[in-house]
Amino acid sequence: MENLEALMHGFGIALSGNHIFLMVIGVLLGILVGVLPGLGAPNGVSLLLPLTFGMQPVSAIILLSSMYWGALFGGSVTSILFNIPGEPSSVATTFDGYPMARDGRPTTALATAFGSAAFGALAGVVLITLAASWVAQVALAFGPPEYFAVYFLAFASFIGMGGSPPIKTLVSLAIGFALAAVGIDTVSGSVRLTMGIDEMVKGVSFVVAVMGLFGIGELMIAVEEEFHVKAISSKVEWREVFRTLVGLPKHGWALLRSAAIGCWMGITPGGPTAASFMSYGIAKRLSPRHANFGKGEPEGIVAPEAADHAAGTSALLPMLSLGIPGSATAAVMMGGLMIWGLNPGPMLFVEQKDFVWGLIASMYLGNVVAVVLVLLTVPIFAALMRVPFFIIAPVIVIICTVGAYSVSNSYLDVMLMMGFGVLGYLFKKLHYPLAPLVLAIVIGDKAEDAFRQSMLMSKGSLGIFFAKPLVTTLILLGAALLLMPTIWRTIGRMMPRSEVKP
Amino acid sequence: MVSGRSLEAATALITGAFGAAVIVSSLDNGIGWSAAGVESGTFPLIVGVVILAGSLFNLVQGWLHARAVILGPSELRRLAILFVPAAVFVGVIPLIGMYVAAALYIFGAIAWNKRGSLLLAAAAAIGTALALYLMFEKTFQISLPRGALGTWLGF
Amino acid sequence: MSQKPTFAAIAFGLAIAFTGAANAAWQPAKPIEFIATAGPGGGTDNFARAVQNIVTKYKLVEQPIVVVNKAGGSGAEGYTYTKAMAGDPYKVVFGTSNAWNQPMVSKVAYNYTDLTPIAAMVQDEFLLWVKQDAPYQNVQDFLKAVAAKPPGDVKMGGAQSKDTDETLTRMIDKAAKVKFVYIPFKSGAEAAVQLAGGHIDAHVNNPSESIGQWKGSTQRPLCAFSPQRLPDGPKVTATQNWHDIPTCVESGLAIPQFQQPRTVWLPGKVTSDQTAFYVDLMKKVQATPEWKEYIERTSQTDTFLIGDAFNKFIKEDIERTRKVAVDEGWLISN
Repeated sequence: MENLEALMHGFGIALSGNHIFLMVIGVLLGILVGVLPGLGAPNGVSLLLPLTFGMQPVSAIILLSSMYWGALFGGSVTSILFNIPGEPSSVATTFDGYPMARDGRPTTALATAFGSAAFGALAGVVLITLAASWVAQVALAFGPPEYFAVYFLAFASFIGMGGSPPIKTLVSLAIGFALAAVGIDTVSGSVRLTMGIDEMVKGVSFVVAVMGLFGIGELMIAVEEEFHVKAISSKVEWREVFRTLVGLPKHGWALLRSAAIGCWMGITPGGPTAASFMSYGIAKRLSPRHANFGKGEPEGIVAPEAADHAAGTSALLPMLSLGIPGSATAAVMMGGLMIWGLNPGPMLFVEQKDFVWGLIASMYLGNVVAVVLVLLTVPIFAALMRVPFFIIAPVIVIICTVGAYSVSNSYLDVMLMMGFGVLGYLFKKLHYPLAPLVLAIVIGDKAEDAFRQSMLMSKGSLGIFFAKPLVTTLILLGAALLLMPTIWRTIGRMMPRSEVKP
Repeated sequence: MVSGRSLEAATALITGAFGAAVIVSSLDNGIGWSAAGVESGTFPLIVGVVILAGSLFNLVQGWLHARAVILGPSELRRLAILFVPAAVFVGVIPLIGMYVAAALYIFGAIAWNKRGSLLLAAAAAIGTALALYLMFEKTFQISLPRGALGTWLGF
Repeated sequence: MSQKPTFAAIAFGLAIAFTGAANAAWQPAKPIEFIATAGPGGGTDNFARAVQNIVTKYKLVEQPIVVVNKAGGSGAEGYTYTKAMAGDPYKVVFGTSNAWNQPMVSKVAYNYTDLTPIAAMVQDEFLLWVKQDAPYQNVQDFLKAVAAKPPGDVKMGGAQSKDTDETLTRMIDKAAKVKFVYIPFKSGAEAAVQLAGGHIDAHVNNPSESIGQWKGSTQRPLCAFSPQRLPDGPKVTATQNWHDIPTCVESGLAIPQFQQPRTVWLPGKVTSDQTAFYVDLMKKVQATPEWKEYIERTSQTDTFLIGDAFNKFIKEDIERTRKVAVDEGWLISN
């Protein structure tokens, strides 16, 4: 295994006191930007970038990628504690993480999230180590039709998994699509749906929508329903952290499956956000306890977290080997690579062995550092749940306001965020599901672009989605996932009552 | 008091109005197929029609099946206690800036509560403004709005 | 001059004040915001940050500089924001030719006349790229093959719609009497990967967008849309550097020049002192070795345009784009 040999060489480079120190700094800063909604890893990384100009490229990338790991972990903290996703990819973590924390088990929820996240990240790095060149080839097979098929698959695995009234689900989904279309359209270059407000040309930011829908909306629900967070013991619960981690292998199958979904979505253009949603959707369908999802089910935390981190990690590979940034943060790092005099692309692995394998080795180490640091912070974060509601409520409003503002220094975004807050409250109260709306905002316009690019390529023929084995398989898989609930219901009706699956 | 019926109706009207706006706005962009492929208004038009039709359905459905009372007087009062100060906070940001607004908001919220004290309120207010400044202005170089007050004071 | 001011000293001081007025009459008194009309990592973002680094390194300005990304709406967000800041000399917006081209083809809420031009600091080059294993050795081969196929069968990818990449594609259409179908992607980097995967047949990326792919032998340039060959330099592949790529004109595609200027603007309604301050600042930036290094690293061309030369350039570029836009029916009616 020449890759393993190279990896050992990489460890030799990454394992120095200086580098471990950079990892700790990077991870701590990353946790900070991850926890603060509105600030994300891309902001943090672009601020650190100038500091790295004087460094060795390996040291620089170790600092920046450690920040990325920290931000990935930190993003889950506010999702779980306050229902405010710090990063787009941690929205799905709110579905079960927040109910569990509200139920008096914030320590368990955080530890479950971090443990599964670490597993996912590890799976991503192992994939990079063993299959770097193969993975690069896979990514090249994706043209616009395949992109569309991947997005379709993500929607199909998540939508129609039930619970909410179907027409309300449809309205919610469609609103998400409409919001995703606001601004300049990539394919035609024309301005769409700005409703006469000039500034809307920039589009509706996902963070603004989520902060309102989830953060403010949930706050209103909590106040109105007089929801009190269950008392949490004031002892520091190290034992609980430990017990949760030891208990994680219970969810072994869910961990493996979610990591696989994450790796797949990280290499293909789906990305971490779509991966976490898809993984959650599939976990809910396959779990025997699926009625418990949304009420604090551990597997509902394991699935999105493992997938999110697996995708976030494996998304760095296309950046290095092809020069396609798999995420906004990867784009900033790519800018960094060029400044340090390295050209991301197929030759990087050949010409810059020290750099590439030093980075890959640092991914193992950086993640270990990140998970240790973040687990140490669990009791601190969990203690936040003990702050009385009359103090925490205005703090949440301020965090959401500043978060919405800092996305693009815009007051309009703050007002939009408050509007989304009211909408989120109404939707929640009346059982409109929010998740389809959020997923549509994130990948709706990408799916539309991919569809229209495909149509340009095929001169308007839908046949392009069945022209090659890869795209056909993806589309059929998506269709099967979409129709599965209906089919099961039909089978259920035809069979005697007692044999119906739960 | 708010009945389930009126809340359902209000929500359906909001979503429906949004759907209608999307339809109208999409007509500016061209519908169907042209030399440049699928025109940019096509997809928003479909989405707008789905929103509008779905909202009409939800309106009727909500009217027929909603619960009689969904928000009693005490629920409304609690909502108002949260929402009104929050809205005022957001509303005064252009006037007095983020820092002062946040500090006053925190101060008011804590001082108002029977479990809070003036000392705690003052400490929390100053702490919030300071934390915001250090975190955003200093560490991440994002300048928060200073409002008309800030301009007047020359910041 | 701390003690008795003599007549001579006063005269001397006045003289300094007057000669200095051209470049030092106005000095910034609070932090300056650089607005990049592209996301972190994009070409315009790198441009803004390169200038920021140089200004900070040489302490050319006393005040701190913050880079803010306003990339929404293909940059329209940044320009619209700057337009709303009329009269504020602490906002400097960094962009490309889309400052004047975008308002021509989309209903955005600004025009370049709402901004105060400072400088066009550097020009990014365009090349015509095909897949490494494509059978064409030169532009003529390629264009013949395109002409032999039914119109719309050969796919040209590019960044954004109705922006430079598509304008150039339509100019090639016209010059070579062919018809490409243009597939817009979010960025040039994306187009490069699509070409490597064989999903499109060609693109017209800037050097920095495809250098990694050229090194890695997934795609190669056929010709450069510049008046003379790109400058000599280190080898990019085993055998070639940028200078080895012929210009399009010498290989028989009659498009003598197509470049993307990287531009700097202030909001409208600023004073001439303030404008002069920033023009001077950009001049100082342009004179540093770090700036040369930035230009070389990104394989751009050093052309520094200010004042009338910049205005003339804008006029010419608008004429050229308008011709294409009229033919393609892109012009919006305002």
